[in-house]
Amino acid sequence: MAQDIKSWANKFKSLSDSDPAIASMGKYYTCTYLWDMTDRKVIIEMHDGKVKHINTDPQPLDPYDFALRASAASWREFGQPVPRPMFHGIWAASFREDLKIEGNHLIMMQNLRNFTLQFELLRKCGVPV
Amino acid sequence: MARHSPVTGRYVTIEVDGMEYKVFYLHNGKGQPLICQHTAGCHNHQWRGLLEDEEITKHYNVIAYDLPRHGKSDPPHNHEWWTEEYKLTKEHYVNFIVALCDALELDDPIFMGSSFGGNVALQLALRRPDRFKAVIPVEAAHYAPGFFLDWWRHPHANAAQVCASGVWDLMAPQSPEMDRWLTWHYYTQGSEAFKGDLYFYSVDHDLREELRNIDGKKCPVVMMTGTYDYLTPPDATEDTARQIKYGVYIEMTDIGHFPMSENYPLFRVYLKEALRIIRERTGG
Repeated sequence: MAQDIKSWANKFKSLSDSDPAIASMGKYYTCTYLWDMTDRKVIIEMHDGKVKHINTDPQPLDPYDFALRASAASWREFGQPVPRPMFHGIWAASFREDLKIEGNHLIMMQNLRNFTLQFELLRKCGVPV
Repeated sequence: MARHSPVTGRYVTIEVDGMEYKVFYLHNGKGQPLICQHTAGCHNHQWRGLLEDEEITKHYNVIAYDLPRHGKSDPPHNHEWWTEEYKLTKEHYVNFIVALCDALELDDPIFMGSSFGGNVALQLALRRPDRFKAVIPVEAAHYAPGFFLDWWRHPHANAAQVCASGVWDLMAPQSPEMDRWLTWHYYTQGSEAFKGDLYFYSVDHDLREELRNIDGKKCPVVMMTGTYDYLTPPDATEDTARQIKYGVYIEMTDIGHFPMSENYPLFRVYLKEALRIIRERTGG
């Protein structure tokens, strides 16, 4: 049974905002991205290293800079405490599994350190699919 | 009382294809020379665990150098290197390693390298089996396309962080956090050379037509790859080893593309097995 999207969003925000590794280089970590989990989508808006807003019901014209899209099954693998090989990161899953990176890649690259750390927080809070 | 490490560093000046390089290397140990190449865009601290391994250095003279343009090895002092885009070729890479071994008067060394160092180990086994006792290609394959990317030195992004975080998930999540962050730290220091190194790794290194010419009897080839390596996954290395006469493949569980740096205590278990196989095949 997938966890409730609102409680997932609260948990994710709390983990991210209190993460010392993100905070240590949080200044200027400002961007907006979409996680498309097939059965669910969320748009996460970051401002100076903190989660400003999580849109748990994105509409067709809601904007974002870049997106990660994969099957719900892949996202469930990303959310394991110790993911299996090839589900253990953005690059691994995009090279070897069904993860697609779309939108403005440059903004993702400009924020890669902290975005990678946030992606790995899914190992602690799971995924809402 | 100073807490000195037994590892010492020196510089040696060599000439390779008209380039003069002042090469920095770390070494510790006695006996059979074991010369180690770091991964692309990195430096010799990746071998810090091996260099201080008392059991191995009792019988092996471990040498870990910085390739020119990496760590403390400068670009060539007799060439205006800043006027050309750096692209490492297989010929120059092989010539450099042989020239360094000659300068250090290494007798029948074992060569070990990881990633682009693993791929050049295969080139050495093909081109200079007479010069090396054996090679240990770690996280290597006969062909590894796809990583010669402009992102590594894109002027609109922080290249140090793109390189370091771009290779972050080449490591296994089980590897100790401190060692993963140290490896990340090393990668923030080599971004200017990373793309040029990967020219060799993903473009110039292509042994699809020549792999059958490597003879593992003349120069034993023991390949090792971690299960969390997405770039050279285990099946790619296994496929390479299978096509080499007398090639050996060892799969390393729960480790990634930088095994010696991300989790040395686990890597050494597999390394000891590789060294045992080499002793068995070479009689010492």
